[in-house]
Amino acid sequence: MIQLENVTKVLSGRAILSELNLSIEEGETLVLLGRSGTGKSVTLRHIVGLMQPDSGRVEVLGQSLTGASMEQLSTIRSQIGYLFQDGALLNWLTIAENVALPLLESHKLPAAEVNNRVSNALREVELDHHGEKLPGEISGGMRKRAGLARALVCDPKIVLHDEPTSGLDPISSSIINRLVNRLKSTGITQVLVTHDMKSAFEVADRIALLHEGRVQALDNVANFRDSNDPAVQQFLEGHISGPLSRGVLDGTPNEDDRNEVS
Amino acid sequence: MTGWIEALGHFLGRCAETTGYGLVLLCRTILNLPHLFTRRRMRDCLDLIFSYTLGSFTVTAVVALFTGMILALNGGDSLASLGQENLIGRIVAISMIREMGPFMTALILTASLGSGIAAEIGTMKVSEEIDALEIMSISPVKFLVLPRMIALTLVTPVMTIFAAFIGILGASIVAANNFGVTWIAFSNDALENLQLGDVHIGLIKSVVFGVTIATVGATQGLLTRGGATGVGEAARRAVVITFLLVIILGYYLSWWYLS
Repeated sequence: MIQLENVTKVLSGRAILSELNLSIEEGETLVLLGRSGTGKSVTLRHIVGLMQPDSGRVEVLGQSLTGASMEQLSTIRSQIGYLFQDGALLNWLTIAENVALPLLESHKLPAAEVNNRVSNALREVELDHHGEKLPGEISGGMRKRAGLARALVCDPKIVLHDEPTSGLDPISSSIINRLVNRLKSTGITQVLVTHDMKSAFEVADRIALLHEGRVQALDNVANFRDSNDPAVQQFLEGHISGPLSRGVLDGTPNEDDRNEVS
Repeated sequence: MTGWIEALGHFLGRCAETTGYGLVLLCRTILNLPHLFTRRRMRDCLDLIFSYTLGSFTVTAVVALFTGMILALNGGDSLASLGQENLIGRIVAISMIREMGPFMTALILTASLGSGIAAEIGTMKVSEEIDALEIMSISPVKFLVLPRMIALTLVTPVMTIFAAFIGILGASIVAANNFGVTWIAFSNDALENLQLGDVHIGLIKSVVFGVTIATVGATQGLLTRGGATGVGEAARRAVVITFLLVIILGYYLSWWYLS
């Protein structure tokens, strides 16, 4: 479903991804873990074509994204939903209008069909009574759910989540986790970037730990939790010293690099 | 020395990059013009025209009124010393319609709307909303830049005509009160000496300025980097660059008209 082969990406003179290899199967939910600046969000950006690798190959739904034209990218993106950290909702549109946006602008569906799909998507994320509110009038957790509704409204085959539970209280996090699990049961392929270990163990089929732009460890939840890999142990237990403490700069790529859009 | 040359090279490189980006953005917006004629884009455009007009109406009226009054006061004083105060009408009318109206309106719209466009699009950029649009295969040019550019290109000439009218009105009040030139004498002198070409060049300038304000604002917005500080910096740069372009373009358009 998603293949990253020897993907290397250098930003500000630093290799964020270094010959990264990752394969995600259809219907699988993969969680990407790792310290800040290890390339988790950059990996998501490569999967959706917002970034192009310096070398290596990214293949999504059987089509290569490397050197793809805007039309090809558009076709692939129409099958991908992306949940941004803060929802990335347009603040002058209501929640319902935000959710309807891809249907009206890209898919150009008739109004009745749009209304129907928007209602279903909002019901799916338990926001059916908040469609007329503006993003500024709802909580951070609700904004993330609205972002998820927008990601789901076009019936994507793949959903990418960038820190879906960051900054949320435990109850709101559980609501998001339940939604991710509900999507999992429908067979949608999902990739989540998170620092929330509870969430990772609750939703993942497999967990990958990224370090220095490579996959340091990759296994199913049970094996990952019981792993003897010192890096995994350090990450799970939060030790300051260990193999993950070398070679990682604090922070994520700067805006110049993050915004290197296709 | 090397550091200074390096900094200059970096600055010039950045200028060239921004200019190129702005010109490409302008061309892409023009190529997307047919997309304006859809119900949603037309509605966006009309909403923006309404909000831009409303947002700049009062400040334009006040600035234009006092500019006209200042022109009449200074011009009238010099003319009165020659016994020619009855010529105030033509001087004020020609300056307001040909030069001051478009220039003053452009500066007001740059400060209020150009900086606003840069800040709005810049905020969207740093909060990943532009990325979200791209992932949804919605072109930011078609969705954001096109309606703003069309709205500003239409609002600027309208506000220029309004500013010129209010400025002339202010000047006529000063002419009557300070120099005893009646409204009839003032307007007759203005209308007899004003040529259609003066109105044309004023409108041409205002359209060029409108396109410039929108293009620079959108360019700076889309090139925003670095969070809240970057948004402030984008708005500041949009104002500075547009001011410079307006004055330079204004000079060359006047030169072209007069030659």
